[in-house]
Amino acid sequence: MGKYSQDPQWADITPLPTDEGGPNPLAAIAYSDEYAETMSYLRAVMAADEKSERVLALTEDLIDMNPAHYTVWLYRAECLFAVGGATEQERQKSLRQELEWLNDTALDHQKNYQIWHHRMLVVDKLGSVEGEQEFVEQMFDKDAKNYHVWSYRQWMVRRFDLWEKGELEFTEGLIGRDVRNNSAWNHRWFVVNGREGSEGVKDKGVRTREVEFAMQAIGRAPGNQCGWNYLRGVARKGGMGLGELKVFVGQFAGLEGGEVRSSHALDLMAEILAEEEGGREEAGRALDMLKEKYDPIRRNYWEYRKVMLGLPAAGAAA
Amino acid sequence: MPLTKQEDPEDTLDELLQNKARIEELPSDQDDAFEDVESDDSGIPFPGKPTKRERRAEADLPLWLQQGTINLFHDELETTTTEARQKATNDCLPLLTGRRTENLALNSYGIPHLHREGHAAFLHSQLDTFPAPYVAIDASRPWFFYWTMAGLSTLGEDVSHFRDRLVETVRPLQNATGGFGGGHGQYSHCAGTYATVLALATVGGLDMVDRKAMWHWLGTVKQADGGFCMAIGAEEDIRGAYCAMTIITLLNLPLELPPDASARSAGLTSFTDRLGEWVGRCQTYEGGIGGAPTNEAHGAYAFCALACLSIIDAPHISIPKYLDAPALLSWLAARQTQPEGGFQGRQEKLVDACYSHWVGGCWDLMQAALSPSPSASNCEVKDVWNRAALIRYLLTCCQQPGKKAGMRDKPSTRPDAYHTCYSLAGLSHAQNHYHYDGSAATRSESGRLMAAFNWTAERATEEELREWRVERGDVVECVHPVFVLPMGVVDGVKVQFENGTF
Repeated sequence: MGKYSQDPQWADITPLPTDEGGPNPLAAIAYSDEYAETMSYLRAVMAADEKSERVLALTEDLIDMNPAHYTVWLYRAECLFAVGGATEQERQKSLRQELEWLNDTALDHQKNYQIWHHRMLVVDKLGSVEGEQEFVEQMFDKDAKNYHVWSYRQWMVRRFDLWEKGELEFTEGLIGRDVRNNSAWNHRWFVVNGREGSEGVKDKGVRTREVEFAMQAIGRAPGNQCGWNYLRGVARKGGMGLGELKVFVGQFAGLEGGEVRSSHALDLMAEILAEEEGGREEAGRALDMLKEKYDPIRRNYWEYRKVMLGLPAAGAAA
Repeated sequence: MPLTKQEDPEDTLDELLQNKARIEELPSDQDDAFEDVESDDSGIPFPGKPTKRERRAEADLPLWLQQGTINLFHDELETTTTEARQKATNDCLPLLTGRRTENLALNSYGIPHLHREGHAAFLHSQLDTFPAPYVAIDASRPWFFYWTMAGLSTLGEDVSHFRDRLVETVRPLQNATGGFGGGHGQYSHCAGTYATVLALATVGGLDMVDRKAMWHWLGTVKQADGGFCMAIGAEEDIRGAYCAMTIITLLNLPLELPPDASARSAGLTSFTDRLGEWVGRCQTYEGGIGGAPTNEAHGAYAFCALACLSIIDAPHISIPKYLDAPALLSWLAARQTQPEGGFQGRQEKLVDACYSHWVGGCWDLMQAALSPSPSASNCEVKDVWNRAALIRYLLTCCQQPGKKAGMRDKPSTRPDAYHTCYSLAGLSHAQNHYHYDGSAATRSESGRLMAAFNWTAERATEEELREWRVERGDVVECVHPVFVLPMGVVDGVKVQFENGTF
């Protein structure tokens, strides 16, 4: 006998056991008795559309056993908002409690992503972002590239208008720690360009600042493509001619016999040259260098870039 | 056993598509399948000066695996990222260069054969009953049906004998309100429904789907901005768009939104309204595609975007219409990792075999969209990517040794159904050719979207196989470039639902 079937508080519920799908189901799971029972009570309360304190407790039990169970999370959110208290104060209190419980669950299950959607629903209802930035930073201490946490962070910035509340400095800190953290670069782009109605890098001052930022990062690690992509993105969106970057890129591309310090510089140099009057042949030379020596694994791609420029290809790759 | 905790923090689409966290702990008695893993260590990588024989072997390697290329650049600044990458590269290099073989049988080029029987046995084992700790897959069992059926089909196995069992198994997952949940009593979900529909298609079991209810349910997840939510009340992302359009097209559901669809109140009338534009909004400054607008570019989402666009129209029409194709091409090309030859999912992340499909599957679609088209007879470049490098990565680094083999993310990880399925699909993209017939109609008379049915597959020539160092017997079956199903299965479904009435 299980926890629920023995509990007089649940005596009014007739559990709905699992339909296994025939006598010989594929990829079945030999559920523990505890999980099977709890699920059978969940099915029953969902069928009756019951939203109550005891259902909240039931969903917590299930999430402890299986945090990847999206249905339980979605139903828990519905319950929480239905029974969260009679007064505004009570509602706030219950949402705060929910967040505290979520903090532990999120730290225990780093890769789980249902948690983040749920957290978004809760914080949205709560209407306060207090403590959230700090909590998210705790998550990034463990994995600074967690896709769902970054997605949540973007939502926070948008929902609570945090564009100028330290976000830029935050990305600077993370990029300072690991210049190859592309998630942090993407967030920086979002903070600079994502605000509705903002000019982003189309504003000259912002553009200059961002170009400078990218160039510094490239100087520290020329082989890191994050910085190069960011620089190219800023130039494109900001309406700069790529030619304005030529002197900088040239330091790393070694076209005039200097040292090639980054294949990404050669790639960008080929783009810059192709935009110059009469520069296509020279662009082709940069692409040949990539193909033959500096990035041979992408040989076919570099060859195709020459085709895009209308230059003759060297024939089928050997 | 599959889905054990991975040793590196690389995330893969099994969190993204599968709706689940990886299983965190497993009882050690589940691990007996792997006791032979470390039995062969035939050489220490790069010991001192190479001997004459090693120098010859070095010259026999492709340029990207030669020391001269590998030593060209060095990381100027060590960070968490470079440490993880260095470890992955060190694990792979001895396998890529043949200095270590893990006892796999080698072909005449010195590269491991595809261990067909082993991978098939592994996939079969994934259909057995899982012990209680596997409760974490309770919301993603439909994926196991799909990964096993698709993987076995790619290996050339006829899976139609599973039909009755699969139909019985998924019956409790179908909701009366339409769609399939991850398990009995679970909400319908785009990912679970996609996986179930595809698995049913491989075994010829689609008759059991309640198409009309499915149409109504999909109407509830279509959003006013053009995208799709994964479930009612759940997140909106690009997987939803690809999964929903796949289901609608395979089952030939009406494109017209159901009368009660909430997106109608925003003026939308069709499932395709604002969809291409929404997908376009997911392209980032890097050129790649994020899971939703402004999110970081990610390989799995690139495939979802390209496949979705290739459903709503011909790829050479819809891809350049909604995306900056040259920027995406550049981003995709950069995902093939030097020197491993497999693909990474994001900038500065680690190589992972599952992206052999998620990124590897983008090439068929992209190459059909490019102008000039690399597959056209007058183009001097036949491919924009490196098939040989991917094939080598998959065969040397991703095959788990031992009788019950399976395929894995990278050498430091263990095989699972997800990586086995998508490694094999990636192998198929690399070993076979797929052509889009630009002269075929993109709409049927009844209004069904036909573009995705206009693909044909072609086997590689002997010369190509030599170039890739593959023997004919190790070539896998052709996999449909949009639906990731056997080509014949797609032909069958096209005819089965020709008449789109309920």
